[in-house]
Formats: sequence, C-alpha cells, structure tokens
Amino acid sequence: MANFIGVFLRSLEYGSFYALSALSIILVYKTSYTTNFAQATLGMFNTFLVATLVMRQGWSLYAAIPIGIVSAVILGVLIDIVIIRRATKAGPVGKQIITLGLISVFLGLTPIIFGVDNLSLPRFVSSGTLTIMGTPFSYNALFNILFGIFIMLTMFATIQKTKIGLAIRTTASNETTARIMGVPTKTVTMAAWAVAIVLSMISGLMTAPYSSVSLTFMNDVQITAFLATVVGGFATFHGPVIAAYGISVLLNIFQVYMPSGTIWGKPLLYAVLLLIMYFKPYGIFGKQRLKKV
Amino acid sequence: MKKIIKNPYSHFILLGLVLLTLPYLAEAGAIRNSTVTVIGTTIIYTIAALGLNVLLGFSGLISLGTAGFMGLAAYISAYVTETMALPFEVAVMAAIGIPTLLGILVGILSLKFEGIYLGIATLVVAEILREIFINVTPFTGGATGALAGRPVLAGTFQLNRIQTYYLIVVVMVLIFILIHNLTKGHLGRALNAMRGSEAAAQAMGVNIFKYRLIAFGIATVLAAVSGVLYVHYVGLSYPTTWNLMLSLDFLAIIVVGGFRSIFGTFIGSFIIFAMSELFLKPIPALANITPLVKGILIIIFILYYPNGLANIKHQVSHWLVRRKGKRDAFGQTKAEKKNLTRAEVRENDTV
Amino acid sequence: MTPSKTKELALKIEDVSIAFGGLKAVDNLSFAIERHEIFGLIGPNGAGKTTIFNCITQFYKADSGSIHFINAKGKETDLMDLSVHEIIDEGIVRTFQNVELIRELSIMDNVLIGAHHVMKQPLLGQLFNRKAIRKDEAESREKAEKILAFLDIEHLKDLIAGSQPYGVQKKVEIARTLMSDPELIILDEPAAGLNDTETKELAMRIKQIRETYQTTILLVEHDMRLVMDICDHICAISFGKRIAVGTPKEIQSNPEVQKAYLGEEGELE
Repeated sequence: MANFIGVFLRSLEYGSFYALSALSIILVYKTSYTTNFAQATLGMFNTFLVATLVMRQGWSLYAAIPIGIVSAVILGVLIDIVIIRRATKAGPVGKQIITLGLISVFLGLTPIIFGVDNLSLPRFVSSGTLTIMGTPFSYNALFNILFGIFIMLTMFATIQKTKIGLAIRTTASNETTARIMGVPTKTVTMAAWAVAIVLSMISGLMTAPYSSVSLTFMNDVQITAFLATVVGGFATFHGPVIAAYGISVLLNIFQVYMPSGTIWGKPLLYAVLLLIMYFKPYGIFGKQRLKKV
Repeated sequence: MKKIIKNPYSHFILLGLVLLTLPYLAEAGAIRNSTVTVIGTTIIYTIAALGLNVLLGFSGLISLGTAGFMGLAAYISAYVTETMALPFEVAVMAAIGIPTLLGILVGILSLKFEGIYLGIATLVVAEILREIFINVTPFTGGATGALAGRPVLAGTFQLNRIQTYYLIVVVMVLIFILIHNLTKGHLGRALNAMRGSEAAAQAMGVNIFKYRLIAFGIATVLAAVSGVLYVHYVGLSYPTTWNLMLSLDFLAIIVVGGFRSIFGTFIGSFIIFAMSELFLKPIPALANITPLVKGILIIIFILYYPNGLANIKHQVSHWLVRRKGKRDAFGQTKAEKKNLTRAEVRENDTV
Repeated sequence: MTPSKTKELALKIEDVSIAFGGLKAVDNLSFAIERHEIFGLIGPNGAGKTTIFNCITQFYKADSGSIHFINAKGKETDLMDLSVHEIIDEGIVRTFQNVELIRELSIMDNVLIGAHHVMKQPLLGQLFNRKAIRKDEAESREKAEKILAFLDIEHLKDLIAGSQPYGVQKKVEIARTLMSDPELIILDEPAAGLNDTETKELAMRIKQIRETYQTTILLVEHDMRLVMDICDHICAISFGKRIAVGTPKEIQSNPEVQKAYLGEEGELE
C-alpha cells in the first residue's frame, strides 16, 4: 500500500511536468492552429539559460527564474512576430513544419550560446522530506504537485472568468469573427506564444533536477504531453491537462508493476495510447467537427 | 536526339553517370576519398527523402518516422547478414518487407487522423522504435550498435567500398525512374487529388484508404532501401543515429529541394547533408552551426519559397515575365494578377 | 406530381431525414428525377439543399429513408450501401459549392482526375510504365482535350488551375465531371460567383451537356432566372421539408413557395 501511495504521488508530480507542457501545446494550438513541436526545445533553451546563470554565474535559482521568464516571453513575442504572423499562406502541415524548423534552430543555438556540456539544476526546495502514510516524500515533490495544480487552476480561471480569457476563447473558436468583433487577435496569439514558452520552461525547471539539463532532456516530457493533448482532445483546455495526469499515473503503474517495466513500460504505454488515438481520434473530451463540402 | 534530351529517364541516367565518375576523380587526386563517401551517404539519404516526398509532397501526409523506419531496416539487414549469416538478398527482402508492413500499419492508423494528429502519431511510432533499438540488445547490439559488412551479391561477389558506391548510384537511378513512372500519371494524380481536396478526390472515385496505404507503403519501402544501403555502406548502426533530428533532416531536404520534385530531392539532400559535411564541419567555428542553418532554411523556404529550389527557376521567370506585362507561364499579366483576390493568388500553395 | 408515367426515373429519394445534433437538416424529404431531365432544387439559405447532395453522394449517411439510383441499363442501386468513392462508379458525379480543384496542378491534370475510376491501371504496370498504361494515358488525354474544347477552354489546358479566374475554375470542375462518363451530374450552385454573361453561357452549357452527353442533371441554385430557364422540374424545400414539386410555372404560382421562399427573396421575374 505504501508503495502504491508512493507511485501515486510520483505520478502526480510527473503529471505536473506533462500537464504544464500539454497546456503549452494546447495554448499555441488554440490560437495559431498548429501543434508546436518545438515546445520542448524552447523549454529546454530557457532552462539552459537559467541553469547557466545558476551553475556558471553563481546566481540563486530564484534570481535566475525571472530572467528565464523574461527570455521566454521575448522568445514567444519574437517567434510570433517574425515567423508565425508571416505564415498566412502555409497550411496546418506547413505550420507544423515551421515548428519543426524551430527545433533545429534552437538545438543549433543552445550549444553555441550555452556550450556543449550538460548542466544540472537544483530543486525548487533543496531539502526536507515528509512522510505520508508511511511513504517518504520530498518537499520539492510536494511543491511541484501543488505549484503545478496552482498554475493549472490560475490558467483555467483566467481563461474562463476574465476578459483576457474571453479574448483567447473567441480567438480560438473563430479568429476572423473575433477580429471583426474587435478582439485584438494578433496580441492574443502573441501572448499565447509567450505564455506557452514560459509554461514549457517551468516544466523544464521542474524536470531538470531529476535528470540533467541536456539538449534532449525534455523529449520524453514532450512526447507524453503530445499524447495527453491527443487523448484529451484539442477541443478543450482542460482535456489535455486531465489526460496528462491520467497518463502519468498509467506510466508509473506500467513502469513499477510490469515485469521489466522500467524498460518496456514507456514504449508499451505509447503503443496503447496510439490505439486509443485510433479509436478516439478526437480525444476523450473532444468531438469530431463535421467537414462541410 | 531531341527526344533523348527531353526524356526524363536520360536526365536520371546522366546524373547517375556523373556520380559514377567520382571514384575515378578521387583516384586521380582531384577530390578526396572522403568526399566520395559523403556523396554516397548523400545519395542514400536522397532515397529516404524521396519516400517522404511521395508521402508529404504528393499526398500531404506528414511523417516524423522516416529515421525510425530507416533504422529498423538497417538493423534487420545487419542482423540477417551478420548474426544469421544469410545471403544479402534475403536480408534485403526481410529488411524491406518488415518495415513496410509496419509502415502500412501506420497508414491504417493514419486513416483516423487528420493531418495535425499524424505528425504526433508518427513521432510516437519513431520513439517506440528508438526504445527498441536501445533495449533489444540481442537484435540491435544496444548502445554499442550493430555491425555489417559490405554486400555480397549472389553469394559470391564481395563488393568493396567503391563497388558498393556504384551499387548505391545504380539503385538511386532505378528508384528515380520508377518513382517518376509512378508519380507522373494515374497514381500521382490520385495522390495529388487526395492532398488538394479529399472531398473532391473521393467524389472522383479515389479510395482514400487504398491510396494512403500506397503512399505510406512507398515511403517506407524507400526508407528501408535507404537503411539497408546505409548499414552496408557505413558498416554500422547506432541507436542515436535514428533520432528525430535525422527525420527533420529529411523534412528539410524536401522543403528546401522542392515538394514533388525528384531532382529537387537530390538537390535538397546535397544542400542539407553534403554541404554541411563537406563545407561546414571541416571549419571548427562553423561545425556546430549546421542545425541552426537547417532550421533557418526550413522556415525561410516554407514562408517564402514553398515550392523549394526545384521551382525557384519558374518562380523567378514567372516574376520577370509578369513585370514586363507579358503573359507568364500561369497565363497572367502583373496587372491581371493584381485584380485577383488574395485567395486566388495562391498558385504557390503547397501544404 | 406532373412527370408523365411513361418516362423512366433516374433517382428516387424517399423519406430521407438527417439531423445534426438534434437539428433536422433534412426532414422526410422525397422527390424523384426522370432520366435526361434537368432538375432544380431550390430553397432559402440553410434549407438543406447541399445536405441532400451530400446524402446522395454519401458524404453524409442519411439517418433514415432511401436513395435509389437507376442507371441507363435499368439496374437499380441503393446508394446508401455504397461508400463515397464508389458513387462515381454508378455514374453519379458532382461539383462543389466552393470549387474543389488541385490548385497546384494543370487544368489538364485536374480534368484527368475525373477519369480516375474509368482507368484501370495496375500499380506494377505503372511502375514499369508499360505500353498499355501509356496508351490509356494518351487516350484519356485526347478525351480530356475534347471536353475542354467543348467548354472552350482547351487553350488553357497546361495552365495551373489555382491561378485561373473563378469562372474558368468552375468550368474545369464541370469538365472533370464530364470526364467520368456520367449519367447523373449534380451541380452545387454552378452560377455562384459568375457574372451575368457567364451565367447565360452556363445555362446554354448545361442544356448542351444534357444533349451531347445524354445525362441527367440535378442542380442547386440561387439564381432564379437560371433555374426557371433551364429546369424541367423543380423541388422547393424549406427547413429540410418539401413544400412543392413541379414545373417552373407551377412552382412560380405555388402559394406555399411564394410564402416560404419568395416572400423573403423578392418577386420572380
């Protein structure tokens, strides 16, 4: 039992990483109508910036994070203005290819700017453990869970209850109509990119202490987040987030309770989720949109 | 004579002949031996990229799994020839057959996915394959990789490095001709229709299921051929080779070279792969710049030259003629073009 | 209904209904089309006209009712048993409200797509470019050229379809339908976006097509003058329900039609 509680709590913690990334993906999808494959790479880039300030310049983590946020926002604004806005002629797949190009750009830039060595990053809460029903649990993990949930709830409240949220929702449902009704859709899209990259960075900052800051350290998070977005459906904001936590639980169960689960748990879960994609191609929370001809 | 010059087959054969002379140039000291190796690898990449071009360029279906399928074929071929000690020909059949079945399976999955989901699904398939490459050590050699010798044809003719290069060139020319045959007529039109308007394609009797499977089939066969040639030319296969970056390279190749163009794919492969190997990597200051350049090229081409290098010639002449007020290849003068709505000025639209 | 009993039917639509999310787009609709007639389907915006087209061509599966097609040989087929891509094999072909062409290909290639289901080209034959394949291609090209000449756009055949004016694109779509040896052509708002001269030409063309290619034509159109001018029979629908069927004269004088349809669209000429 204690073991299971441990597994469950860890699922919630990793669920935060995935959910933040999934939210980042869905924000961009809703406003730019493309799946941002560069989500993890952009998160990685900003995590590298924070890690460089901490490891190389001796900054404290909490002093470095605001710099990371500023950098993420600037990147989001730049990507939107310089690239996405000009991609009016590109179709959905064309835009996907652009985000794939962004992966290449930032995989190239990162070693040029931050050097070729992997870095490490301290935890948000450096030490301390509490015991929950006989299961030891670090304060950092607890912080990750709560902070993740806090960000989700803040985002949902913003999207559902505020004027900014209304602008995001109208842009998402029909950009042209939104623009005609006076919604500053360009600003909304730009803001969505900025917030999305900040979310990716937070996901990166949370993940990094458990591995190292390398070019590929966020790949697993990205793939799980994408699967969460598909399984949860691109129709809603909450679908992918709920799916992210769900997949995290499944992943941990597969890894812990399956024979040689540490090796095969992940690929097997991926295969299962592909099958779910096949049978529920618009997600568990999504609806098929009827195509008019 | 004119007929021969205009025949596209002769263009492919001419390109092949030029490539066949490279080892002689190397022997004569005009170019380095390593250059021949790089060109050989470039040709191998061209073949896989051409498969992706049939899938993405013609059919509008994106795949991020090219590297995975290529790697699978490479490992199978290495395993069958080395561990099982079976003939090269058997290895080729297994190494093309198994990935192709898997590719067709992905094609079946793809039927339920619209464009935007397909990229994600193929990314996940590639990731599953990568896990297999790393973890099924008896089959792949794990992190240490799998070794393979050069091809032995018909059980007797052991090819050396140069002869393997010749084999690669010949295979490339054959594939160019076959793919040209397939895409210029009936099948090409059906795939184009599927991309242009799925509704119209279906109304005209194009069975989307059948043609998606054919498109995925062709793409995987070519990725597999490419993987087989790779492992027997380079001699080994590491799991780290078959990652997303390689699939992105294939994408960059066709974006830069030109959708739906065979020569474009070759040119793209030359720019994306050979240029960086031959010109950027030898200069230490520029060695790390390659991914950056590739990424920028992808974005610039999608934004401004969506038909790639293969069509830049047309685009330039199109523009020149229109400036002069003459009718261009598209039958429009500049003045007429101005009167068209934005939606109509989209002849360069691709995907 | 006025159609004389001696004429054969080409299409029978009986009690067809389809609903989207509780909203009935088509409600127990029935009508029948005679062979070689031009049949018009009219109704205010949102009356369900295109939905009916989509039900006939199986883009949508009707919730209830039946749709039967009787081909020139007298064979009756239940269209609801078929998939979208099999409809054309029965000789039924359609155009689209918003022209659906392959923008990057030439007009010729776009027209050739119409012959997709007629061409029997095995994959291996194509791979090796066998003689039979080359012959088939050449013959299809010839046929396409004749059709393009018939529509007066043969000189444009090598131009890129997507950069042509709307009127030409609409003609290319019609050429594509003719390429498929059709028995029934379904035209979805063929005059939309055309100017007066073009519409007049279209009226002439549609009649010509019926004579030259011996086809039945079903069309949805907002241009009343065109509909009244060329149709033999018209079915008027409103909110998915049939309100009248008859000759153009009968439809014009039908008080139900005037109330439901003309009342909001103005007088008929």
